Amino acid sequence: MKIVIIGVSAAGISAAKAIKASEPDTEVVIISKEDSVHSRCMLHKFLGHERDAKGINFIADDFFASKGITWLSNTTVISLDTQKKTVKTHDNQDISYDKLLIATGAAYFIPPIPGLRESKNVYGFRDLKDAQLLDSECDTAKNAVVIGAGLVGMDAAVAMLTRGLKVTVIEMTAAVMSLQLDQKSAQTYQQLFEEQGAKFILNDKVVSVDVDEVGRGKTIHLASGKAVPADVIVIAAGVRPAFNFTEGSGIATNHAILVGDDLKTNIDDIYAAGDVTGMAGIWPNAMKQGRIAAINMLGEKLLYEDRFALKNTVNFYGLTTLSLGNINPEPEESCEILMREDRHNYQKVVIKNGVVQGVIIQGNIAGTGFWQYLIKNKIDISGKNKDVFSLGYADFYDLDQVTGDYRYAV
Amino acid sequence: MKRIIIDREKCDGCLNCNIACISAHEAGSNFYTVNLQSPAAETRNFIKFDAHKGYLPIFCRHCDEPECVLSCMSGALEKDPLTGHVQYDESKCAACYMCVMNCPYGVLKPDKQTRTKVIKCDFCDDKPDGPSCVKACPKKAIAVKEVSL
Repeated sequence: MKIVIIGVSAAGISAAKAIKASEPDTEVVIISKEDSVHSRCMLHKFLGHERDAKGINFIADDFFASKGITWLSNTTVISLDTQKKTVKTHDNQDISYDKLLIATGAAYFIPPIPGLRESKNVYGFRDLKDAQLLDSECDTAKNAVVIGAGLVGMDAAVAMLTRGLKVTVIEMTAAVMSLQLDQKSAQTYQQLFEEQGAKFILNDKVVSVDVDEVGRGKTIHLASGKAVPADVIVIAAGVRPAFNFTEGSGIATNHAILVGDDLKTNIDDIYAAGDVTGMAGIWPNAMKQGRIAAINMLGEKLLYEDRFALKNTVNFYGLTTLSLGNINPEPEESCEILMREDRHNYQKVVIKNGVVQGVIIQGNIAGTGFWQYLIKNKIDISGKNKDVFSLGYADFYDLDQVTGDYRYAV
Repeated sequence: MKRIIIDREKCDGCLNCNIACISAHEAGSNFYTVNLQSPAAETRNFIKFDAHKGYLPIFCRHCDEPECVLSCMSGALEKDPLTGHVQYDESKCAACYMCVMNCPYGVLKPDKQTRTKVIKCDFCDDKPDGPSCVKACPKKAIAVKEVSL
């Protein structure tokens, strides 16, 4: 059997690994437009000159050779023929498959703001290529503007601060990382960035960009009337699943490739995993999807059930935060909100009817992995008769005496 | 795969396993010379106490399907196909701590001192007589056993 995988990030690599681990004789071909395997979660380490391109690779140097996988790098898939079961590449190769996994991820999006798309010095921060282009800009640029204060924007900001640029971050909402944090925990990070020289303009929007005679965006105009000078502009306003090449193939899409619980598309023998499915934009879930799709392509019937995706960790300047679930409930949700803080820590637990809806643990996050289990499995903790902040896995401790596996006593 | 099997009833909470673990990861130290006050002193195993259940030993399971490995975006955490143990390469780790978030048993933690690495059981795979905690347990509440998962 021949399995073709399009995409060489979390989902694609995880799938290839799973296939080769369970059926090493399966022929695996991976096609990617990238010429290197790298973890996009580490791009800031590259841009900040903490690591080189090799240092942000997340697989072993001999990954493809040792597993007998064919990797077609620098190769873009432009279309596919589901009848003949082939994919066509930009250099006119027709590559046949028995099973196909689409793991093409997502691509950044430049909002249609006058002057922004036209500016030659506007970059996303998604792939190593973006980081490399930004890297050479940072050699000469003095003023950097980051549009969007989500995790990606903050990653770009931290790297450019390290490089000694003057960084201004522009954000539409009232706080940084508003998907992961509440006002208070966001404020702490904002201060840490400001101590390093960053400037934040919150609750504001880019309305236009002045482009100079050589096509570079020079001044960014905001809805408030403010104008911000820019030598280099990073756009971090979100991503969209990337699946242009499936047009006309009959694969069902709706802003993402649609898959069932088995991660199969509406077309037999074609599966999808990772960001391209729009189900979860986070590494652990992409890895799990890749693995499940792979095993299903080999004929099993695994289901993707661990869908919980409202989870993240943040680590900037040594301040760590765990964020899970619904952390900013609306008043009409009538949740109970418990908070505790000291000089180094801020903790918030959102509870409704005895079930934890969300947590923010900022500061010491040691041993906090159990919270995700409680939230995604909707465990009722009202019977625990214990301070919620002192809960740990020990409060749900159960042991299989034979295998030594831990379980949850709930 | 070899795993540390726990007989919870036998544990009397002496914490020798903690000290052995700290010592095993402080080069050149032994039970008597280990510097427990060092900021780098961190145990990879934990004994919790519950008023009803007694002592609850929490040791890395080196899970069959390790959530920490699935969450690792740097390639620092890998399950060794031969030993089955989940090993950690500090030089690869980018300290994102998604592994801490993903470990259902709350075993993983950032290092206290720098928050640039993860503190995780390595099964003392570099030591000829196996896990130091097991050797140090006076009650034989923990033992290395071969398990099939």
